Amino acid sequence: MDERMTATDYTTEELMIAAIAAELRDGELGFVGLGTAARAYTLAVGIPIAAARLAQMTHAPGFSIYWGNLLTPSLEGIPEAVLQDVYTRWPAAASPVDVGYKIDMVTSGRFDVSFESAPQVDRYGNLNITEIGTPGEPPKVRLVGCLAQTEHLGFIRRPIVVTDLSRRSFVERVDFVTSFGHARDGETRDGLGLSGPGPELCITDKAIFDFRTPDRSMRLRSVHPGSSVEEVFDLMSFRPVVEGEVPETSRPSDEIVRLIRHEIDPHGVLTARVS
Amino acid sequence: MKSKLMTAAECVSRIPDGASIALGGSLLRRQPMAFVHELVRQKRRDLALLTWATTLATDMLAAADAVRRWDGIYAGFFRLGLAPNFRRAVEAGKIETHDYSESAMVARFRAKAMGLEFLPNKALLGTGMEAKSPDEIKRIACPFTGRPVLALKAADADFTLLHGYVADEFGNVQWPVVRDSDDIDQMMASASRRLFVSVERIVPHSEIVKRPALTYIPHTLVEGIVHAPRGAHPTATDGFYDEDEPALERWLQAAREGGSAAWLDENIRPLADHGAYLESQGGEAALSRLDVSEREYA
Repeated sequence: MDERMTATDYTTEELMIAAIAAELRDGELGFVGLGTAARAYTLAVGIPIAAARLAQMTHAPGFSIYWGNLLTPSLEGIPEAVLQDVYTRWPAAASPVDVGYKIDMVTSGRFDVSFESAPQVDRYGNLNITEIGTPGEPPKVRLVGCLAQTEHLGFIRRPIVVTDLSRRSFVERVDFVTSFGHARDGETRDGLGLSGPGPELCITDKAIFDFRTPDRSMRLRSVHPGSSVEEVFDLMSFRPVVEGEVPETSRPSDEIVRLIRHEIDPHGVLTARVS
Repeated sequence: MKSKLMTAAECVSRIPDGASIALGGSLLRRQPMAFVHELVRQKRRDLALLTWATTLATDMLAAADAVRRWDGIYAGFFRLGLAPNFRRAVEAGKIETHDYSESAMVARFRAKAMGLEFLPNKALLGTGMEAKSPDEIKRIACPFTGRPVLALKAADADFTLLHGYVADEFGNVQWPVVRDSDDIDQMMASASRRLFVSVERIVPHSEIVKRPALTYIPHTLVEGIVHAPRGAHPTATDGFYDEDEPALERWLQAAREGGSAAWLDENIRPLADHGAYLESQGGEAALSRLDVSEREYA
């Protein structure tokens, strides 16, 4: 594809899909969760699946995902509505005997990349999807639990956090560590013996962050067109590391936007697009 | 082999208040609702639940004020949102939660199935779960490397309640060839002390023996087998029927308005049994709309 050809008409979700797809490599295996409701579904499932399909259609034909308990499901023709029987009959290379098989693959280091969304993310990439409040007391807000996110950050080579930027979500310190990022209270990944390197990127609706700093704290990598460093700071409860002039995130090309709208997600299911 | 056919009411009558119960299924699929309705009818209290990704089963028991403790990987309503009754009870301090990630919960059930006190796990290192459950999670040194590792206590539920597909009267439970395998029901069965399974169909033993490799729960593990067609309603049974979204939405609507206890008094407690429940939902005439188009079992 020609990256110089950029679209003037694209959505934030399409930009995020293109940015994620660019991180996926041929022959790799990615983990996609089943996601929960509304925006969390778009972030945790819709955008990653569209990115996986886009990568397959452009530069990484051998990129596979594990979704639900399906290994290498077909990503051609996402149906308009998904009830149980659609999952039961979804074409895939494998559906192992139970989900313990999949989680063994995660903890033994067989996954390259994963996609995470979380109501709380902190400076060191710790994630919280369990509860908001003070530990030891009943929570102010009970969330969903853990699922396999803990294992993703523990053992997968390049976890990518996909979430919207807001002061409430991007906090100095998560209330509860569901998934260990790069550091917390003097503990580090090396000290704990977690085999994966920890979260690689954080791709939001306004900017992209990485953790390429001496103490592995969050660094602003690029700001999306139409946003600014000031707006990004204003949407965070802590100040990320900034080095020099922050580049602009690449716009998706016309061809990428066409693929997403017309071939990957024609019903707008993955991108929550109202047609 | 002897017949283990019984009713859900008989099974639940053997479960005392305060028991720990492993509940099968995952998300909006194969929640053991026929058993849950019976637990509500018989007014069980102070239960400790152990689950995989649980939805309506746990939310309904929370609404019935039947739960003191929950151990699991997820409690919510999948694409329909959070679990309102469970959430309120947890936030009010009425239900104690013990959170586990997938490999941790798998380790706890596998440990029990293997006859071990614990299995080691690394996923929870450095997380909040470690401090939350000091009685079940202990940091130890790996005897080979000296590095930290967590000993996770075996999941030792008093009772296990699952909803399956088909079985013979002896309790040999089979899955269809085409199914959704995204759960740990077989592992929960292997880890059970006293196991009750409800199924969509009771089939002759002569059908079971033709394909013994499809028996995922053998009769030797089962205490009681219950014929409960649509026994997961309004959640789905893969290969049989889809989830009943309007019914789930009605539950959630009542739940968000704080009306679930009254809903149970009106819609579950007065009913004699699962057959009466199906009739109250419109019977086959209404519920057959949920059936999947291609079925291995008629």
